[in-house]
Amino acid sequence: MLLHILAFEFRYQLRQPLFWIALVLFFLLTFGAITTDVVVIGGSIGSVHRNAPFVILQMLAVMTAIGTFLTTAFVANSVHRDFESQTDAIFFSLPIRKRDYLFGRFFGSLLLAIAVFLGVILGIAIGALMPWLEPMRIGPFLLAPYVQAMLIFVVPNLFLTGAIFFSLATLTRSLLWTYVGVVVFFVGYGIAGVFLNDIENQSLASMADPFGVSSFELVTRYWTIAERNTSGLSLTGSLLWNRVLWVAVAVAILAFTCYRFRFTTVESGKSRRRRVLDRALETAPASRAASAIAPARQAVSVARPSFGRVTAWKQFVHQTKLETFGAILGTPFLVMLFFGVLNLIAASSQVDDLYGTAVYPVTHLMLRAIGGSFGLFIFLILTFYSGDLVWRERTLRMSEMFDALPAPTWVTWASKATTLAALVFALHGAAMLTGIGIQAFRGFTQFEIPLYLKGLFLDSVPQFLFIAALSLFVQAVVDNKFLGWLVSTLIYLMGQVMPAMHLEHHLYRFATIPDAPYSDMNGFGHFVRPMAWFFLYWAFVSAALIALAHLLWVRGSETGLALRLRIARERLTRSAAFALVAAISGVVVVGGWIYYNTNVLNRYLPTNVRFDRQAEFEKQYKKYETMKGPRVTDVYADVDIHPETRAVEIRGRYLIRNKTDQKIDAVHLSLNPDVVIRSLAVERGRVEMKDSDLGYRIFRLDAPLDPGAETKVTFDLSVVNKGFVNHGSNTKLVANGTFFDSYDYFPHLGYSRGNELEEPNERRKRGLPPIQRLPKIDDAAARANNYISSEADWIHFETTVSTSPDQIALAPGYLQKEWQENGRRYFRYAMDSPIFDFFAYLSARYEVKRDRWNDVAIEIYYDPHHPYNVDRMVAGVKKSLDYFTANFGPYQHRQVRIVEFPRYARFAQSFPNTIPFSESIGFIARLQDKPDAIDYVFYVTAHEVAHQWWAHQVIGGNVQGATLMSETMSQYSALMVMEHEYGRDKMRRFLKYEMDNYLRGRGGERIEELPLYLVENQPYIHYRKGSVVMYALRDYIGEEPLNQALAAYVKATAFQEPPYTYSRELLDFIRRAVPADKLPLVEDLFTNITLYENRATKADWTRRDDGKYVVKLEVASAKFHSDGNGVETPAALDDWIDVGVFGEKEPKGPPEGRMLFLEKRRVNKADEVFEIVVDQEPKKAGIDPLNKLIDRNPENNLTSVSAGAVGGSGARQ
Amino acid sequence: MTPELVIENLSKTYANGVRALQNVSLHIPPGMFGLLGPNGAGKSTLMRTIATLQEPDSGTIRLGGLDVLKQKDEVRRTLGYLPQEFGVYPKVSALEMLTHFAVLKGIVDSRRRKETVEAILHRTNLWEIRRRKLGTFSGGMKQRFGIAQALLGDPKLIIVDEPTAGLDPTERLRFNNMLSEIGENVVVILSTHIVEDVSDLCSRMAIIAGGRVLLTGDPPKAIDALRGRIWKKIIERHQLAGYEKDCVVISTRLIAGRTAIHVVAEAQPDSSFEAVPPDLEDVYFSTLKTSDQKAA
Repeated sequence: MLLHILAFEFRYQLRQPLFWIALVLFFLLTFGAITTDVVVIGGSIGSVHRNAPFVILQMLAVMTAIGTFLTTAFVANSVHRDFESQTDAIFFSLPIRKRDYLFGRFFGSLLLAIAVFLGVILGIAIGALMPWLEPMRIGPFLLAPYVQAMLIFVVPNLFLTGAIFFSLATLTRSLLWTYVGVVVFFVGYGIAGVFLNDIENQSLASMADPFGVSSFELVTRYWTIAERNTSGLSLTGSLLWNRVLWVAVAVAILAFTCYRFRFTTVESGKSRRRRVLDRALETAPASRAASAIAPARQAVSVARPSFGRVTAWKQFVHQTKLETFGAILGTPFLVMLFFGVLNLIAASSQVDDLYGTAVYPVTHLMLRAIGGSFGLFIFLILTFYSGDLVWRERTLRMSEMFDALPAPTWVTWASKATTLAALVFALHGAAMLTGIGIQAFRGFTQFEIPLYLKGLFLDSVPQFLFIAALSLFVQAVVDNKFLGWLVSTLIYLMGQVMPAMHLEHHLYRFATIPDAPYSDMNGFGHFVRPMAWFFLYWAFVSAALIALAHLLWVRGSETGLALRLRIARERLTRSAAFALVAAISGVVVVGGWIYYNTNVLNRYLPTNVRFDRQAEFEKQYKKYETMKGPRVTDVYADVDIHPETRAVEIRGRYLIRNKTDQKIDAVHLSLNPDVVIRSLAVERGRVEMKDSDLGYRIFRLDAPLDPGAETKVTFDLSVVNKGFVNHGSNTKLVANGTFFDSYDYFPHLGYSRGNELEEPNERRKRGLPPIQRLPKIDDAAARANNYISSEADWIHFETTVSTSPDQIALAPGYLQKEWQENGRRYFRYAMDSPIFDFFAYLSARYEVKRDRWNDVAIEIYYDPHHPYNVDRMVAGVKKSLDYFTANFGPYQHRQVRIVEFPRYARFAQSFPNTIPFSESIGFIARLQDKPDAIDYVFYVTAHEVAHQWWAHQVIGGNVQGATLMSETMSQYSALMVMEHEYGRDKMRRFLKYEMDNYLRGRGGERIEELPLYLVENQPYIHYRKGSVVMYALRDYIGEEPLNQALAAYVKATAFQEPPYTYSRELLDFIRRAVPADKLPLVEDLFTNITLYENRATKADWTRRDDGKYVVKLEVASAKFHSDGNGVETPAALDDWIDVGVFGEKEPKGPPEGRMLFLEKRRVNKADEVFEIVVDQEPKKAGIDPLNKLIDRNPENNLTSVSAGAVGGSGARQ
Repeated sequence: MTPELVIENLSKTYANGVRALQNVSLHIPPGMFGLLGPNGAGKSTLMRTIATLQEPDSGTIRLGGLDVLKQKDEVRRTLGYLPQEFGVYPKVSALEMLTHFAVLKGIVDSRRRKETVEAILHRTNLWEIRRRKLGTFSGGMKQRFGIAQALLGDPKLIIVDEPTAGLDPTERLRFNNMLSEIGENVVVILSTHIVEDVSDLCSRMAIIAGGRVLLTGDPPKAIDALRGRIWKKIIERHQLAGYEKDCVVISTRLIAGRTAIHVVAEAQPDSSFEAVPPDLEDVYFSTLKTSDQKAA
């Protein structure tokens, strides 16, 4: 019987269009994801094959989460349709067993849901065969990953979600509740994900994820490209337990459902009682029927109806009240709201965290959390309710009654539209209260209510009102609730996906507007204007949609489009026509104005066109890269910043000198094509070639420049921002917080490679050879330039900068003079020592904090809203100067300035004596009342100050490994300052993040991972691995010898003329500090990609007669060298590795417990046994227990020490 | 002065090819008008079309000076409509819902609206349960609620589609009384397949089947036309096929386990048949039978 019901169910649902639609949709989605870059489902990046096993596993796993909606539709429907079509009475009276009925239906529909994933499999498999894909991104067809994914993810996940929603639908007998369940399930999933996202709770997170995606991520997080391309997934460890747990949960749910389910058509005990009451009531009044007629007679027609505008308005108000209260007070809305609020609380907990350190919950971050966590939610609620409201009367079979009533048609849709608007406002109101609540709860009381109102009700609400209008329109026109949901979701998604197809204009992406980031310094700034225009535009579009919805609104039982069009003509009254024409005119006029701004006043450049231009520039001018030209020696510039109009004027001159030993007859200049050139001239030269479009000019010199001779480049430039743009709005010139550097608007000598297209696939598409990120390390000629500048070595720099009178303008150098003139404020800066050719300008309304360290002035320029960490920065500068001057050499300037800039970018950057520092990277970090937090403000400050040595004194030549001498060394320097300030335990927490980031970064590599000494400007290597490697090196050879080596290196290379130093030279200095027996370590750390797999396999203790404990520790060790793709080969093991034993954990102490023993031991075979004597009772022991070496499974380095015999001689043999 | 409803040449074919109305013309004066016909005859289509809910392919409907198909809003202001099948907002009480209907019917003065609603609640015997949620109503209560909303606002044109379905005999009687009372002044169109309701209540009637009007007129006259032509015989069930071949059998019914057939014929078919006085049911069945034969 069970099989029969199952087969019937399967065949029944197989005939439903939903199955075929889902199959095709899933096929297209994955086919699209495999064959294009438009659709992204996890997926492959860089060198990972498009059909790599990892991609297959990930896609199928992720699709099961998306597939939940399908499982719900199939599985929930399987029993629910009997209630809906009221065939339940028939089925329940059949002589079938409850179990057969339920499980037959369940498994029949479940099989079908699983069958939908054939679409995914075919999408991947067929997609990979498509001829337009680059053959090098396609791996061989492998069956195993599909099978693994089906068994590990698809079947268990569908079984679980199916069981949950089947149970809901069967027991509540309400589709609405089932959908509420879906939303709650997803939000709960999201919340759990956020709370468990912390690096500290990964294993818990992986268990808690019902889809197993987190476990999958945990298992594969450090997979390299080679592993992603070839490895299968084995069902072990946390993944296995996760799967077992959730399948068990599903079985339990099904059993419960079967137990609770009754073959009755009565819903619940409460309504059963009701029915009994009904019967009593029904019989009673009926007997009085005859007598009741008479008095009623006089009561007829007491009121005359009236019609007109007033009546219509009152009808609208009445209907709206009914609909709105019905929706807002309805349990489904309240439940979804509740979970939305929970989701927001979760999301707000980690906004802008860095190294696990929180920031102050300032209002705009709350707004961002709301946008991130609530946005999709509101969209779902709107989509759902638009369908629900439009279909309400018809679903309840009340529409015939309603539609024949003498209320105008607009009353109906307007009340529903108003209800949707009320939902939008209610949700935003709830979000605002939640935000304020979160702030208050965290003890942060600077509620910026006006900012809340602006951010929510002026920025966010309109977008959702437009979406509400769209959903209403779609529901009215499409006339099928489910199709309506699908269509409006697709339109919304199109808006998000179109940029990937290089359709980026907001004029055709529904309800989207250009980004409007908020910064405490600059507010919403110049983003308000485009936002307002685009909102006006979408408001008109929405009005037109609403007008069309009015015309096509279904009233009565005619739903065919042809007939409705006929009715629409009747409804097209003068006022309706006027409204429609007005709305469309508005769309055209405002759209035209926007187009004028974005495409006529400004250049509209979609990403692909931008890439094309980059490629074109490279194709045209890269041939000049190696040409030896003159070099800049002096820069003089007058810079006028106009914050209020977001313009800048730059007048200046370069002194350029022929430093070669040959004559030079031409000067090449490249310049950002957005810059307006008033004049640009080379002394004694004339323009030979001018390419204004790409920004390249060649000047032929009247007489060739002799070796050692000089000439001048003079320029008069301006940058203006006209109107507004569609995307990529200039955030460097703003009303408060201008920050640009010499690469943005200054002319450059020769070809500069900074703007080359890097993404390998984009290069291939445009016929460019694979990029050479940096020349090879042994390319001696390339070291004629440092890796930052190809036009100068050390320059003399002077500048005058002016700005609005209420702002302070800054540039590198010391302030010579400050004055006011023509209502503007002028500053003159000059540098008294040579700097390298990299300078910046900043202007804003600053507070200034001043301090001193010996004879060095310290100045922090910060926004008045952000006083929190200024003292910390001052302290950081002082401690840094202490350490660096003592260990590396003297500081070349007399001043250190930290200057805040808006959060449009998130970094800090070191210029000579000047450090621009983003407001988002420490100014609001919450450290004062959180002594345990990692003080990344201190760390960033120390890192940037270190750059005054490592970059501004020692700068690597333009070859591989260059950033080892700047970024890695700054990272090491900062680590040391931090360790002296905060101690080793905190450093270990910091380094845990660094190690994690490095190992994850490897999987995201687009070209090739390189050993540290060959790093090609790869942040995950020069920062993250750099930290780990240098910290380990320090551990092995000691701080003092290492710093002495570094100081010697600085002394040898600071301010050197070309050829510049390179990493081999640095390694030579380091090697001199390393004892001979540890020399191989240097190779493992710097010249190889080395990974250890250290594991404590067993440990037990016995107590000696003298009361000491003998720990017997068994370990397994292995070492691997990896190539650039992550293919590992075993390496010979002969290393000194920490062996440690730990005791009781102290309340505030390190997680592994009090250290009882730690010593480096020589390990030269895979299995070693150590005997260690300690004074106290050991709890844990292990190898490399503090994770100093790079190890992909750091958790298993420690193991618990089990108790052996206590006392007696038996312990000693 | 209540106007007459004039329907002329109304035709409607659905997208699936069903011809629901074929050239229907009817004059409906004030008073009760019964619309009889089997399931699928086109009754509901006709009613919905008059109730402004459906568009015919061709034809006109006029209510006095109003063009029903064009001046929908005006028609709705005088309309009371009870559809054959309808639902309710489950979470709203009868009182609230009727009040809301009253607003939508244009009764916006709140005091008078209250009186009107209360009166109609009394009249439809819903007063006692006016605060109950509609979702908890039984079939009969729900039907009474439907009637209540149709009668709200003093309609001049009342269209009730199978109104007594689901009502027990007492309630049906009560409702019929109410209708005939109202029907004195306004146009009431009552669609039903209970012949008895029509003969009890209606001064005029029409029989439609297959989208066509087969007969219009007032019931007594229609009955008169059959006088002397209806014959009855008690037979065994197995004999039925034989009789159906030889005579025009318009109806069969069981009387105490035996089958009684009514036959229409100009003269007594044979002596075993006895003459019976015709009733409206005979009119109905003979009309249908005749149209079937024509169609065949």
